[in-house]
Amino acid sequence: MSKHQYAMVMDLNKCLGCQTCTIACKKLWTDRDGTGYMYWNNVETRPGLGYPRQWDRIGGGWKDGALQPSPLPTMDDYGHAWEYNYEQRLYEGKKQPVMPSPEPKSGANWDEDVGGWNEDENYYFYLPRICNHCTYPACLEACPRKAIYKREEDGIVVIDQDRCQGYRYCIKACPYKKIYFNEVTGKSEKCIFCYPRLEKGQVNACAAQCPGRLRFVGLLDDPESPVHQLVRVHKIALPLFPEKGTQPNVFYVPPFNPPKGNNYGKNILEDPRIPLDYLVYLFGEEVKDVLVRLEAELKKAQDGGRSQVLQLLIGRDAETRFHIRPQLVQIQV
Amino acid sequence: MGIREMSIALAAGCLLSTLGQAQTSSQPASLQSLPAPTSAASSDSLLRGEVSAWNQVPLKHIALHRTPPLYDTDEPAALEIPIVEVRCLRAQDKLLVQLAWRDPTQDAVSLPEVPDSAPETRFRKVQTEAEDRFFDAAAVMFPAKANAADLSPSLQMGDPLHPVQIYYWNATRGAMLMEAQGRGTTRRTGQSFPAHALYQKGQWNLTLALPNLPAGTPLAFAVWNGSQKDRDGRKYFSVWQVLQ
Repeated sequence: MSKHQYAMVMDLNKCLGCQTCTIACKKLWTDRDGTGYMYWNNVETRPGLGYPRQWDRIGGGWKDGALQPSPLPTMDDYGHAWEYNYEQRLYEGKKQPVMPSPEPKSGANWDEDVGGWNEDENYYFYLPRICNHCTYPACLEACPRKAIYKREEDGIVVIDQDRCQGYRYCIKACPYKKIYFNEVTGKSEKCIFCYPRLEKGQVNACAAQCPGRLRFVGLLDDPESPVHQLVRVHKIALPLFPEKGTQPNVFYVPPFNPPKGNNYGKNILEDPRIPLDYLVYLFGEEVKDVLVRLEAELKKAQDGGRSQVLQLLIGRDAETRFHIRPQLVQIQV
Repeated sequence: MGIREMSIALAAGCLLSTLGQAQTSSQPASLQSLPAPTSAASSDSLLRGEVSAWNQVPLKHIALHRTPPLYDTDEPAALEIPIVEVRCLRAQDKLLVQLAWRDPTQDAVSLPEVPDSAPETRFRKVQTEAEDRFFDAAAVMFPAKANAADLSPSLQMGDPLHPVQIYYWNATRGAMLMEAQGRGTTRRTGQSFPAHALYQKGQWNLTLALPNLPAGTPLAFAVWNGSQKDRDGRKYFSVWQVLQ
């Protein structure tokens, strides 16, 4: 068990699916050989296929203390990284149109904005995903090389690239499929929670760049941090698929709006636009209590009161959303 | 103690002493010996398959076994490669070991070459083509140092007192020299060694150039079948064989 635990809360009501976080991450960490298909941070439309396709249904994680089997996703499940023939068009004077190659047939957020139907109304929302830096990481348990470790000082889960032999047991074990194999290096890699930035007091690149200001970062055990407030005090943020048994340290404020048409006078549980079954599938039964709490906070504000929770969720400035404590983490190591 | 109890105790005692013997006696009779005649040909030409010289070397059929499932989540694997044929030849300062095994699927690719320049300076990056494929491979393991007690080290990559060297060849990634001193400690040294591989008519023919090991050195062999998702301890292995 680590001494401290960095955590992230993402408010799904604020995510606009712009992929700025995805690009911030990609430019910083996965713009290398062998990493084209990788998105350590991805944003997928829900309900939907996800990235890699069907990751939420293929296995991994824990059950009764034992790792659960899972196949390795294929490259078609992730989507091959395609390139455009800009050289020919722009520099070599060839007249052919700019085309991607190989022909794109699948990819991250391939089913963008398709969503689902609830009676006669369409619904969807975006689910941004990074490594969950779990308290009980299945990937760590699965690695026979002991190449994966959870940093004692801040709970960040990383892969030692010198020890990794590219066996990919970790990819099978991760129920969130957030580890990627780099065939060029022959090793696996994953989100490192931007620990080199955190160590310098800078927040994660995905969180820093988010135009929707939906990401909150801090130590889960730091009473002053927004993540502690949202998860532990106000109890309005939940981990994804808690039944997978890994205890994620990324939490989500469940999507709540907009109301359905003609639902005047009905509450969120009576007539939700997003079917409750689907939210329960993602976040467990507790999501119902969270939705009720959120609706009560909204009502408080609509009635002219001041909701501390909503003020925090609005998160106007970086000081509210991020509480990075490099000194605390380092001093106590 | 009644007769019944006594006979059980005796049987248990016998079993224990047999087990003890298997672990401590020097070179149990079941070990095959591998003839290793000396050739006048150059090790380079032998590596590339100088047929006449190799044809004079007696061929040994060595039984391969599957490692037991190491993880609950592993798919079971059938014994698709029951035999590896081994020949050894000494030439100059090398011991050449030729391994041949039948494998209907050639699990090998040529990965694109990575340019020397930094990726951020290039218009295009080298891409991962697949992330769920594994490649055929083979290895020869032997004790890293001559052992006074003449014991074969543990087949599970030796132990801290009996380190091993592993000459590992991978159909895609080439030849790599490894060291280990017990299960889970295998480490790439960063060094390579001469190896030559040919896949023909459903068979791998692989020749590895090892240092000229003294007679009496135990050798163990391993084969990984990419199509069976072999990697790590998920593989075929032989028991120790003794070099002549």
